[in-house]
Amino acid sequence: MSWTPKTEFPVLTARIPTPPFGEMKDRRTVWYDEYAKTGGYDGLRKALSMKPADVVDTVKTAELRGRGGAGFPTGLKWTFLPKSEDPNNPGVRYLAINADESEPGTFKDRLLMDFDPHLLLEGIAICCYACRLSKAYIYIRGEYHHQAMVVEKAIKEAYDKGVFGGKGLLNGASTATGEVWKVECHLHRGAGAYICGEETALLESLEGKRGWPRNKPPFPAIKGLFGKPTIINNVETLAHLPSIVSNGSAWFHKQGTESKIGGPPSFGTKLMGVSGHVNKPGVYEFDLGIPLRVMVEKYCGGMRNGKKYKGAIAGGISTGILGPDQFDAEMDFDIGRKYNVLGLGTACPTIFDEDTDMVAVARNIARFFKHESCGQCTPCREGSGWLYQLLSRIEAGDARTKDLDLTLEIATSMGAMPGTTICGLADGNNWATRTIMNKYWDEFVARVRPTYVPVTMSVGAAARV
Amino acid sequence: MAWITKKSGSLEVERRSQPYLTDEVKKKITEVYLPRYETKHGALIPALHAVQESAGWLPHQALMEVAEFLELKPADVLDTASFYEEFWLKRKGEHVIAVCRSIACEFCGQKEVTEACKKKLGIDVGETTEDGKFTLIELECLGACGGAPAALVDHTLHEFIKPEQVARLIDDASKHSGHH
Ligand SMILES: Cc1cc2nc3c(=O)[nH]c(=O)nc-3n(C[C@H](O)[C@H](O)[C@H](O)COP(=O)(O)O)c2cc1C
Ligand code: SF4
Ligand code: FES
Repeated sequence: MSWTPKTEFPVLTARIPTPPFGEMKDRRTVWYDEYAKTGGYDGLRKALSMKPADVVDTVKTAELRGRGGAGFPTGLKWTFLPKSEDPNNPGVRYLAINADESEPGTFKDRLLMDFDPHLLLEGIAICCYACRLSKAYIYIRGEYHHQAMVVEKAIKEAYDKGVFGGKGLLNGASTATGEVWKVECHLHRGAGAYICGEETALLESLEGKRGWPRNKPPFPAIKGLFGKPTIINNVETLAHLPSIVSNGSAWFHKQGTESKIGGPPSFGTKLMGVSGHVNKPGVYEFDLGIPLRVMVEKYCGGMRNGKKYKGAIAGGISTGILGPDQFDAEMDFDIGRKYNVLGLGTACPTIFDEDTDMVAVARNIARFFKHESCGQCTPCREGSGWLYQLLSRIEAGDARTKDLDLTLEIATSMGAMPGTTICGLADGNNWATRTIMNKYWDEFVARVRPTYVPVTMSVGAAARV
Repeated sequence: MAWITKKSGSLEVERRSQPYLTDEVKKKITEVYLPRYETKHGALIPALHAVQESAGWLPHQALMEVAEFLELKPADVLDTASFYEEFWLKRKGEHVIAVCRSIACEFCGQKEVTEACKKKLGIDVGETTEDGKFTLIELECLGACGGAPAALVDHTLHEFIKPEQVARLIDDASKHSGHH
């Protein structure tokens, strides 16, 4: 299979040695001085010379899509904020940076926070200027002890150098609006709860409460943190801003790919963290659209122990699985529609070799969702427990055929898309279970004893889409 | 499971005269955390982290002290503290070994790592050694999937762990005093 990268230079990993541009062993944290010497904060400087609305427009025309899982257009999200001049909406507006990164299989934001924290901080400053936000909270998962330390230190440097703080961005640099823009930035450590990656649970957690997702609407852009207009973006999304502002949207369009099925495009590069049964797992930066096979065979040293590919979680377990015949899947935002998975997710695939027990994979995933369900919605709270019990029984060889249909029926009924739950956690459970069962049906059938109840069979067939 | 309600209705709170909320922690909350948030409630999670770091865990007395200090209802503090897995409402060992059991790790050899930990410590997952030195737990994805199998020993991440390295990892940890 032939595929040529369009991006000749790394963008997000420009300062982080990453194959094929550099060796992982040469990685170290880039602090302020080195960052500034290598073009750092030039994007922010350029942004300040533009009108805020023009910065938003640049991001909009670049068609940058969110890197946190849903792929929502970033510029469009920003336009949902109330007009900042609106007298009905005075006062502070917030940015919440999603650094919760708890989706199993996902470990890409960690790379930026480990080695190039100022890239994130510059992105934060640009976003705050463009969207007229004055306070930013980086919500980092509790288990990221080292990363929290690095980011905290980088924030302190940024304050000391006048990026943030009382004088206004970049030591009170004059801006195209004629006034200085002041931004405060703080780190907020989570405390071990996957659900706090969901944007409204994240806000609840920032308010000091349990991480229970909120019903929407109202959307956070209107009524978010402490009831104020709030933008929530992923770490990697924000890290794209300095280069987009510096180089313009046309430059961004040269990377990544147009949609091949008439959908919205997948421009730009993407951090992709590859895990599982490959020789060289790790975080790489590729153009969106790289085929999974090329990624594994050309960059990740191929399958471990010369085994054959059997399947891959597309981008975090919520997205579901790419089957044995989908090794050539292109890693872009079309992947959901083309390959029957939930979506690209975080674009961090977990690869399985031929020896992997797919029933055990499904059980592992079900256990995760059972453990992490916040418990607000009955279909998710109860359904996740049932799925785990059923799949454990199937794995142990104690189940009957009708249990397979029951499993599918329960899975299909859960989620914000079927309309039975508040947030998307249950959709992830739904898609993961359903795609694994459907794509490896024979393996599941081989594990159960037959039942002869034709009525339940037809229910199952309907559910098995 | 974060949503299981606790039998807190008839709870007797064990007390000691010395407060858990030390002056040093109070100072940190007042000077660093409170100014960051619009409400006092907002400073609750950083405050709980700070208390746990100094006390090692979060006994009910500590939660009540935090409630009083932040002018919150004790129930609100318990509500938050009991939701998050990283807050220890029961005493834990001096060192915590947390093995990742999620997707990449389980299928890259986690089970053998957990077994090696159990064997070395002589305890099951979820238990603490009798001398109070080690607690062994399994967690979901640690965000280190590329280094599977991964585990946290206190605050330090270890990747590509081989079962035969486990004994040494644990011995090394016991040489340092615990992070709490
Ligand atoms: C259950 C659940 C967990 C999520 N976890 C994360 C996460 O850990 N990190 C993240 O960036 N987004 C996560 N998201 C997506 C966020 O809700 C949100 O869409 C995203 O942070 C928006 O940022 P973006 O537009 O820059 O991608 C999660 C969503 C759900 C439903
Ligand atoms: S879907 Fe699940 S995780 Fe999401 S709000 Fe409902 S119960 Fe909580
Ligand atoms: S699956 Fe173990 S660290 Fe992610």
